[in-house]
Amino acid sequence: MSTIEELNPGLKGLGRYEYGWADSDVAGSAAKRGLSDEVVLDISRRKDEPQWMTDLRLKSLRLFDKKPMPTWGSDLSGIDFQNIKYFVKSTEKQATTWDELPEDIKATYDKLGIPEAEKQRLIAGVAAQYESEVVYHQIRKDLEEKGVIFVDTDTGLREYPELFKEYFATVIPAGDNKFASLNTAVWSGGSFIYVPPGVHVDIPLQAYFRINTENMGQFERTLIIADEGSYVHYVEGCTAPIYKSDSLHSAVVEIVVKKNARVRYTTIQNWSNNVYNLVTKRATCAEGATMEWIDGNIGSKVTMKYPAVFLLGEHAKGETLSIAFAGEGQHQDAGSKMVHAAPYTSSSIVSKSVARGGGRTSYRGLVQINEGAHHSKSNVRCDALLVDDISRSDTYPYVDVREDDVQMGHEATVSRVSDDQLFYLMSRGMTEEEAMAMIVRGFVEPIARELPMEYALELNRLIELQMEGAVG
Amino acid sequence: MAVELKKPPVAGGVTPLATKKPGADQAHTDSGATFVPDQSRAERTRSFDLDAFPVPNGREEDWRFTPVKELADLFQPAPTEGEKYRQDVNAPAGVKTSKVPADDERLGQVGTPGDRAAAVAWNAKDQATIVKIPSGTELGEAVRVVLTASDEARINRHVLIEAGHHSKAIVALTHEGSARLTGNVEISAGDGADLTVVTIQEWDDEAVQLDQHDILVGRDARVRHIAITLGGKVVRLSTNVRYAGPGGSVECLGVYFTDAGQHQEHRLFVDHEPVHCTSNVEYRGALQGDGAHSVWVGDVLIRAAAHATDTYELNRNLVLTDGARADSVPNLEIETGEIVGAGHASATGRFDDEQLFYLQARGIPEHEARRLVVHGFFAGIINRIGLPGTQAHLMARIEKELADSIDSAFEPAAAATR
Repeated sequence: MSTIEELNPGLKGLGRYEYGWADSDVAGSAAKRGLSDEVVLDISRRKDEPQWMTDLRLKSLRLFDKKPMPTWGSDLSGIDFQNIKYFVKSTEKQATTWDELPEDIKATYDKLGIPEAEKQRLIAGVAAQYESEVVYHQIRKDLEEKGVIFVDTDTGLREYPELFKEYFATVIPAGDNKFASLNTAVWSGGSFIYVPPGVHVDIPLQAYFRINTENMGQFERTLIIADEGSYVHYVEGCTAPIYKSDSLHSAVVEIVVKKNARVRYTTIQNWSNNVYNLVTKRATCAEGATMEWIDGNIGSKVTMKYPAVFLLGEHAKGETLSIAFAGEGQHQDAGSKMVHAAPYTSSSIVSKSVARGGGRTSYRGLVQINEGAHHSKSNVRCDALLVDDISRSDTYPYVDVREDDVQMGHEATVSRVSDDQLFYLMSRGMTEEEAMAMIVRGFVEPIARELPMEYALELNRLIELQMEGAVG
Repeated sequence: MAVELKKPPVAGGVTPLATKKPGADQAHTDSGATFVPDQSRAERTRSFDLDAFPVPNGREEDWRFTPVKELADLFQPAPTEGEKYRQDVNAPAGVKTSKVPADDERLGQVGTPGDRAAAVAWNAKDQATIVKIPSGTELGEAVRVVLTASDEARINRHVLIEAGHHSKAIVALTHEGSARLTGNVEISAGDGADLTVVTIQEWDDEAVQLDQHDILVGRDARVRHIAITLGGKVVRLSTNVRYAGPGGSVECLGVYFTDAGQHQEHRLFVDHEPVHCTSNVEYRGALQGDGAHSVWVGDVLIRAAAHATDTYELNRNLVLTDGARADSVPNLEIETGEIVGAGHASATGRFDDEQLFYLQARGIPEHEARRLVVHGFFAGIINRIGLPGTQAHLMARIEKELADSIDSAFEPAAAATR
């Protein structure tokens, strides 16, 4: 059998990673590695947190020690928890305007294109996360006037203590799983959003995340509360530079969607190919509420991420659109969970994955319809596209129905790019590579069209990058 | 705790199934995770050694749905209570049947125990039954292996069904009465053979059966495996399929009717390695009553070498009343893109209101219409068994189960309390 390189001569060129630069590492080099009570207390002390948060962090550390590693999923044996920096502070005070940012941080964001995005006024506010803590923050005035809170999570705890305490760790308790415990113990940064009743935030709220210190874990924590009848679209994007040793990213995202509210959460993660991306995301939906996850997984070494919706009120609705690309050495283990706990609830999961160059994509999902959740409907659809004969694609859909008056359907297809399709496009004058990229773009189009425009463009560019050298 | 296979799997270019890596139970760690979960279905432990399988506690992937607390006695070896059961083999002329001692070297060539219960059966059995259909023989009637037990007889059962090359046969295993059974059934179809194995579980209410079926499909052979599970308190049937050469085709069909308090679990694992093989899995189940629990897990692995594989899995569940629980897990692992097709589907729901409406619009009363819909749902599988007498018997049995529930639901008193 031929090796991966022989089958894909173009693979070598793929090694260059577009966002794989690294700025001089000023803030990170001094930070302490490892995990202990002392580290947790130090994080809490530096942030000047209330006692309950310090206690919760310590309790979570105990839970983390007690919890076993997952007995399923990907190979995580490469993570060394004692060789990770759990807190890195890059600037002492938060900047409020662009000009106040330090030079090398500004340079990083210039490469990411944030100022352009600002100028286009496509985004409502940018909470750019650089090394664990938010350093730059701006909210448009009209949002503030409407009472929308959009701050980093540390500020949220400081300035809105009651609101924060009411919801923090209620959707994902500290002991939910090993990585949620870890995040609760050492969290830093993330976004805190509150949308008052009836308010529609009509432009997406957007934040950029970045890991920039070797071996630095990024443990951001996001909490979104959409009050009755409100609407908000939050966009999270990730890029990280390439480093020698493995990095860990373990975020927790909690979303509370109240009666008749609607929240859409869009992520395109494009971590460099040495990051373990182990994320817990969950939303609760009250009566008539809608939660939509749009989840793109392109980068990272290993991703294990299953955005969940708990449908707790009648007529609540959950939706997940998920795409995953796995190239050489990557394992994208992604999917979604839908738990129907009330009557007349509905959910839908659409997952599309492409594996190439020896990569592996797995869809892993759960649909659970509890007793009493009559007239519930759920539909799951997984499609996988195989472009060579060395890559791997798995489907692990769990279905648990405990009610008679329901409709539950699951369907999966795995197909390969047919010679007919390639021939047709090539006879129109395309190269094989262009034809392949076009077929892949067509395959993910139903999800790409749900993305904000800049993201859809970025996704198309990333697909072309990913598909380079995929034929041959 | 590295475990070696005592017997080599059958030759013919088939990859030996993996044994367990050391350190698998070091799940807890807070610095430097060393534990690696199974990355493929093929990595799950298979061994003749009982100690390779810790006693299940219900948290294992393999046992997560099973009520292991009720099965503690079956996880420890105990002798077969020979006086409480009988197993008769009725075979047409030409078939060679024999009872052989437990250490007969023909045993363990097709299958290797894949869980604690199967390992218990392998180690505690005192004898085995071999049914051999000679090469080139086409049987006019079915071979019947009838097991009748009483008084919760403890049984460690082993059956080997060997169909020689280019033979054609139907073998029916039936189970009646009351037993606590662990067992292994090995099924080997020679090159070009056409073999149907039907296993029918018509146990009394308290019976427990933990059974493993291993199927090895020869070159260009065609195998149909049909599981019909109607009775028993806990029935767990694991069916594993492997191919010994190219061109094999397999159909795994199943029907289950799970009543209140019953746990019926069907697990399948189709392991594609040689080229040009096909597999088609279709299981249909109905559930009614409090605590009725059905589990269907269908694993398909397409290995990197298995070019031109074509596979499809389907599970449909009809939930007839509240309080029942249907778990359905169709898993696919695909290591090559050079395949014809791979897919699966799972659907769980209640009666299709449109079908009921259509029938009622034709003047058929509702309870009759319901009966017809369920009849049609199961007839699609049952009628493919190929044994008319057995088919009629099974349909009658299903009708009876159904009549009990539908009639009670349509009595005015019952309807009021519903």
